[in-house]
Amino acid sequence: MGRWLVGRTLQALGTLLIVLLLLFILMRLAPGDPLSRLSDDQPLSAAEIASLRARYGLDRPIAAQLASFVGGLARGDLGASIEYGRPVSSLLAERLPATLLLGGAVLLLNFTVGIWLGVRQAVGRGAWADRWLTMLSLAGYATPSFWLGLVLAWLVGVRWRLLPAAGMHDPLLDPDAGLLTRSGDVLRHLVLPALTLSVVSIAGTMRHQRSSMIEALRLPYIVTARAKGLSEAAVTWRHAWRNAVFPVLTLFGLWLPVLVTGSVFVESVFAWPGLGSLAARAVGYRDYPLLMGTSLLVAVLVVLGSLLTDLAYAVLDPRVRLS
Amino acid sequence: MTRWTPRTVLAAPLAAWVLGPALAFWCPIPASAQSSRAPTTIVIVTGEQASLPIPTLMEGPLAAVANYEIADQLFLHLAGLGPTLTTAGDRDFVPLLAQRWVRRDSVTLAFELDPRATWQDGAPVTARDVVFTFDRARDPSIAPRLAGVLRRITAVTAEGDRRVVFHFSRPYAEQVYDAVFHVAPLPAHLLAGLSQEELRQSPFLTHPVGSGPYRWVRSVGGEYIELSANEHFFLGRPAIRRVIVRVAADADARLNLMLSGEADAMDNVPPPLANLSRVAADHDLRLIPVPSPAIGYLLFNQRDPRDSSRPHPVLADPDVRRAIVLALDRPRLVRAVMGAYAEVPFGPVSSILWIRHGAPRPLAQDVGRARHLLARGGWADHDGDGVADRDGRPLRLTLSVPNTSAIRRQLSLLVQEQLRQVGIRIEVQQYDGPMWGKRRSAGLFDIDFSAASQDPTPSGLTQSWSCAGASNVARYCDPTVDSLFERASRGGPDVADTWRAALTRIEADAPAAFMYAPLYVYAVRRRFTNVTIRPESSWLALWHWTVGPTQARKGTGN
Amino acid sequence: MTAIWDSLGRAWRTTRGRAGAVVLLAVAAASVLGPFALPDPLAQPNILGGAILPPSLGHPFGTDELSRDVLARVVSGGRVSLTVALLAVGLSVTLGALVGLVAGYFGGAVDAALMRLVDGALAVPRLFLLLLLLAVSERVPLAVLVLLIGTTGWFATSRLVRGEILRLREESYVWAAAALGANRRRIILRHLLPNAMGPLLVAATLGVGDVILLEAGLSFLGLGVQPPAPSWGGMIMDARQVLVTAPWVGIFPGLAITITVLSANLFGDALRDAVDPRGA
Repeated sequence: MGRWLVGRTLQALGTLLIVLLLLFILMRLAPGDPLSRLSDDQPLSAAEIASLRARYGLDRPIAAQLASFVGGLARGDLGASIEYGRPVSSLLAERLPATLLLGGAVLLLNFTVGIWLGVRQAVGRGAWADRWLTMLSLAGYATPSFWLGLVLAWLVGVRWRLLPAAGMHDPLLDPDAGLLTRSGDVLRHLVLPALTLSVVSIAGTMRHQRSSMIEALRLPYIVTARAKGLSEAAVTWRHAWRNAVFPVLTLFGLWLPVLVTGSVFVESVFAWPGLGSLAARAVGYRDYPLLMGTSLLVAVLVVLGSLLTDLAYAVLDPRVRLS
Repeated sequence: MTRWTPRTVLAAPLAAWVLGPALAFWCPIPASAQSSRAPTTIVIVTGEQASLPIPTLMEGPLAAVANYEIADQLFLHLAGLGPTLTTAGDRDFVPLLAQRWVRRDSVTLAFELDPRATWQDGAPVTARDVVFTFDRARDPSIAPRLAGVLRRITAVTAEGDRRVVFHFSRPYAEQVYDAVFHVAPLPAHLLAGLSQEELRQSPFLTHPVGSGPYRWVRSVGGEYIELSANEHFFLGRPAIRRVIVRVAADADARLNLMLSGEADAMDNVPPPLANLSRVAADHDLRLIPVPSPAIGYLLFNQRDPRDSSRPHPVLADPDVRRAIVLALDRPRLVRAVMGAYAEVPFGPVSSILWIRHGAPRPLAQDVGRARHLLARGGWADHDGDGVADRDGRPLRLTLSVPNTSAIRRQLSLLVQEQLRQVGIRIEVQQYDGPMWGKRRSAGLFDIDFSAASQDPTPSGLTQSWSCAGASNVARYCDPTVDSLFERASRGGPDVADTWRAALTRIEADAPAAFMYAPLYVYAVRRRFTNVTIRPESSWLALWHWTVGPTQARKGTGN
Repeated sequence: MTAIWDSLGRAWRTTRGRAGAVVLLAVAAASVLGPFALPDPLAQPNILGGAILPPSLGHPFGTDELSRDVLARVVSGGRVSLTVALLAVGLSVTLGALVGLVAGYFGGAVDAALMRLVDGALAVPRLFLLLLLLAVSERVPLAVLVLLIGTTGWFATSRLVRGEILRLREESYVWAAAALGANRRRIILRHLLPNAMGPLLVAATLGVGDVILLEAGLSFLGLGVQPPAPSWGGMIMDARQVLVTAPWVGIFPGLAITITVLSANLFGDALRDAVDPRGA
């Protein structure tokens, strides 16, 4: 196990490195560069463009740019964003808490409520509740997140004025207010975006959990366990669920990057100051340094998610050999 | 002892999720979320957050409206534009840092600084600050864009503490404009002697000290910037004491913040038109249309996109260009998308350019004449497929549109449909911002749906419409237009007529179909009075705004 | 091959399966035949007075911002959306199953190599990957679009399938089959694949919704169907602006997507039971 873990971690680091190098090169092959947007409404002369290209080091060969990026990375320096004129690391640090909060809330909701509902559906398969939950969850899934977000923001925020329509903090709140008031403020802002993102994505967990649970409940030894007179809850959760958890684990690993990517649409509809919208802007403006910074975070979580999933397989089902 | 079961593990977070939203409703609602907010505080909601609102540093991607608008609160210019926005001559400006200016000869201007002017740290504003700032602004290695616009200033010198003398390379009409509009003075006593690298690390960038009506308080990334009134502002203490510039990149989110009462003012209520009626229906809000520097046009490539050494196979013919302009019912299209808040411009002239006054009306739709012009060039529907053709080649053109502009995307579909009626087949091709920009500057288009944001000066037109213009991506070249531009920039009594002659010539030659010059519609809460919104920088006059008498009595100030 | 037809037949004989299939076929038929009976989905009859009209007898689904008939656009938009959804999802599910099976069954270096590849692919933003294609070619035909979406959509599916296979290959019946001398092909196709159908079919159902919206995102970048040609995803994106003031412009294409996803799900559910070797 220990050896496997070391080997697996090395693989993960290797993957990360290759992905970063690849991204760096692909980014420069993508059409348009950080300055081409500028010709939109502020015409620049060729001389000005050339001078700006030199300022941001865009005139150097890709290999030289790559070398200085890797050099900076080794020192923990991600460079400065072209679009914001500030160090990438400080931009990321500024946005990370908001994204972790929203992403964490959504992960928590999806993988608790989602699992629970999925299991209930499987147990009561074909029943009234199962059918309605199927309908509702899939309808939610087919709904674009910005759509639900706009409707909720308008209804709850504007029409009823129950919760803030956008943002993460009330800018007028006294910064010296008590912790309870301040966290209450954040919580009030969090409800709508977290709810939106969960409703449009929870179907994934529910459907996979339902499907794997239906199969698990058909296994011969579940029938045996029932025959032995174990309680229905014990049969469901202690025996069957253990056999039905793999797809959900995999899904959790796949969803882990949501912690940093959030959702571009939901963040923008609710003006949530997260990394998702920052990353989207980085792509839209070809802000190379910022794009590399956000991609680095995403890549780390993708690789970590896959590593954790494999570990969890082995822990939950000792027969699975990790070689 | 409770056994470990997955259910107990799930139960806790599940409970948290039921309780969480419940708590959110029951939690003490912060005072400010109720209507008891201080009346002298304003929350402005905008689409972008200023990241570096400091004169001479707003270059390249940082030359953004968000930066200019905050910089204009922090840093005062030598003088401002007058109500007519006239940029030519020496008179139509309003004194700010400079008390007055005198012309010594046709190439020398002396500005007298107001002795009361101070920096927000208490130091007086001196001639040295102005000289320091212009040395930076005119250095192409520091500020390539500014250095470009200030190219006709040859030297800026101090005479004592209060007098600054500007020297120009030649006589022209907009010398005062160049000296006062483009850059506001920076505090030399804080910044002189810093290298560009030291400046980048300097605390000044995160806590700028200016001479303007508002001082910097803080910036919360992705959320808002807070400013507070400069108590010692020498032109008068602002009545609005606290300014929160909140950012919401999404236009619907901005509108929601206005309609939910969380924000007090927004620039440019987003399309569609129905949103304007939603704002109008809120009795706390008022709509304020303001001339905008924007102009949108269909730019016709003069060169073959496949080989720029050759003329464009279709659009090099002025008859085809004119036919396209005549085939379009521009007022109708613009009304469908922007309602009453835009007009069809005559020539490349936004609604803030003073030369638009007295210009003739743009050509009305004339489908018959459009067909006639096409037929004269040999374009007619010979094979009966609904598309005009010549020598077996159908009249097809691509129209490239950036996906970032909802207005241009919508208009391009309307244009496509109207041109189909005269047998011109348009393929709309949308691209994301950088890609569209790249293709545009490389001349890879037949028709480009361009939009420009103009400075208040007409001399900016030479960049796009003269033969050697730096941003003349369509390679339009007409010597007559060039010589009219040249004559107009020299000034003189007939300067307005000369500009209009240039516009008339451009309209006749149709290098582009000029589609719309919009008004921006601002929304401002009614409790603010004496509200003025300046077209050249939205919140420039904020320090003149007052708070309505009835509401002011309710609060206790800040 | 006969096994597939048998399973489809068994799925068809269930109520769920038949209902799902019938609705899907009806939607497809409507999008092929509908345009002949309806107004031109591109026509803009009256851009000033006829825009964003609420549903009425003349326009059962109302009109959009350019005064076009929403019903006509929903019906003809189905061509693009359904084609892309069904073909691209079919492709990506096949690829995902293949990679997942191979990685899970063979394990070791094969597994490591394939899964690190998937990690890497997931770490690159998908839209960015597709954006790169614009550098190569600016006009992308529908077939290529399907290919693009399909070949970039299988990464998550392969991880799900591999997870199942890792578990299944340790089951006693798989060992028994191997001990009895069954060849790999038989073990994979007869024992492992049917048991991994659950995650596959769920992934396929959910993929249908994803892909329809992704197609719209790509059009927006200049890849794929360009305006004014309608597609459901594109209509929803365009309806964003008038969501609150004229909800019908977006609700009807949204309903079309939901109905498609629901009926694909019904059929998938029935198919899963039909494939299950243990029987329902």
